[in-house]
Amino acid sequence: MATLKGSPYNDVQRGRGGQAGPPAAAQAAAAIDLTGYWVSVVTEDWRYRMVIPAKGDHPSVPLNAGGVRVAATWDPDKDTAAGEQCKAYGAAGVMRMPGRLHIAWNDANTLRIDTEAGMQTRLLHFGGSLSGEPTWQGYSAAEWEPAGGRGGRGARGPYSQSGGRGPALGGGDLKVVTTRMRPGYLQPNGVPYSQDTVLTEYFNRSIEPNGDSWLILTSIVQDPQNLNGRFFRSTHFKKLPDGAAWKPTPCRTS
Amino acid sequence: MGAIPSGILCAALLTTGVLTAPASARPTPHLQDRTPSGSLVEVTDEAIKSTAVGVDFTGEWAPRFHEDQPERVPGPELGDYLGIPISAAARLRATTWEASIQTLWEWQCRPHSADYIWRGPSPVRISKEVDPVSRLVTAWHAEWLRSIDRQVYMDGRPHPSESAPHTWAGFSTGTWEGDMLTIRTTHLKEGYVRRNGLPRSDKATLTEHWMRHGDVLTVATIVYDPVYLTEPFIRTTDYELDLHQQVPPYPCQVVEEVDRPRGVVPSRLPGTNPYLHEFAVGYGLPFEATEGGASTMYPDYIDTLRTLMGGSLRILKAPDPSRRR
Repeated sequence: MATLKGSPYNDVQRGRGGQAGPPAAAQAAAAIDLTGYWVSVVTEDWRYRMVIPAKGDHPSVPLNAGGVRVAATWDPDKDTAAGEQCKAYGAAGVMRMPGRLHIAWNDANTLRIDTEAGMQTRLLHFGGSLSGEPTWQGYSAAEWEPAGGRGGRGARGPYSQSGGRGPALGGGDLKVVTTRMRPGYLQPNGVPYSQDTVLTEYFNRSIEPNGDSWLILTSIVQDPQNLNGRFFRSTHFKKLPDGAAWKPTPCRTS
Repeated sequence: MGAIPSGILCAALLTTGVLTAPASARPTPHLQDRTPSGSLVEVTDEAIKSTAVGVDFTGEWAPRFHEDQPERVPGPELGDYLGIPISAAARLRATTWEASIQTLWEWQCRPHSADYIWRGPSPVRISKEVDPVSRLVTAWHAEWLRSIDRQVYMDGRPHPSESAPHTWAGFSTGTWEGDMLTIRTTHLKEGYVRRNGLPRSDKATLTEHWMRHGDVLTVATIVYDPVYLTEPFIRTTDYELDLHQQVPPYPCQVVEEVDRPRGVVPSRLPGTNPYLHEFAVGYGLPFEATEGGASTMYPDYIDTLRTLMGGSLRILKAPDPSRRR
């Protein structure tokens, strides 16, 4: 069982100068509501997401010389033969894959993201400690960032669950830092990230006057082995009313 | 702790602007929720926290072209409408477009509109306008390399009437949703959603969400256009704080770029553009996909693509490097 010991989130719950009580579960204190079904809307990087681009076609990725060399060795048939067809579906790549997400609470301190593309599961741990062998999805440490900063207005409580625009107006965002990933691909054509990669993500949510709601995900990849500097991408998902269209598909290399 | 003399408390409140802000411009006050219980410093701290709204976007922000670099830096290619929910009218008009229209005097110094400029190859400077008495932020200003100053009013003023003039920046008002700044823009002049002729009408409105995560700025733009879009068109773009950046001046001057008869506007009649297939051929994509439309931006379109591409989504031929200028 993961614990919240040492989590900066605890400070938020206690407030400035308040009594140190038992930590509230992450679910009960959520700054925004991310649960539900979401679909990626591919209005950006279409040629690098909807199809599998040709080897060496990666003009947007700030690869260093080593990264370029690794990308040039990409062989999707070899990946498939080796049972490595999910290399583009690791945590640093899977959120760019076209598909739906299902986000739900796995338990009171673990947010779970299931992806339609590649049928992957990401577990975002509020508290707990890093352990185990590297996996495609690695270990994700999550914390709420309430509006107004820690100790600010957002610390007064979680988002309104009374309906209306409450989930967005609650304020802040979710910050997730993922490490211990198996080496994978940032792009399906073999653009590499290494086992040393640190993936930092921020989840925001909007609610529009026309009823649409968007999940806006900012991701920052740091991988000194393959990248020059930080690699920024932001990806957007539209809220769906339900999971009626959910259609999981296995990892694919063609 | 003893009670604070009312005069001192009042001075503290004046210092933080709580009492001086005009009611219409004042953010939701929370001070009445708090019971002063400490020193003047504590009270002031409480008041500052109570009046602070949102986050500070002030600074020089450098664009990061880690998405859509080919479109944003060298520029989009003719016939690339992938993933954009364009209407048939937009598609028809775009196919009549010729790049050399940019050489016309009237177009040479034309700035990108508020909805497109986030995707342009420009750094941006964001500053805030502060009321000298209340010290509340009354407006944000954004200034890119190829733009004039754009204002986002935060003082609650209404948008002007429908008959008010339209501008490249439009008329923008902002509100806080937690730490996310949400901006509604109306009164935009006609512009484009991609600088290869895909039009955006002057009936369009724009919603933006500005989000700051440390030294990273993410901006979501959502364009609603009843003429040229069939669904809202969203893009999200990232900038990085750059302490060494200064947006330089951009004294654009009109010159004679092409010797052509007066009054000629480069364009093609519908159905006569022979180059529209070049993009699809050059990148090994089905022409049907490159025509865009709302269906092409959803994951389910992959099934259509797979059929159009003979069962595999792999692009086998790398694009000709000469396609990238």
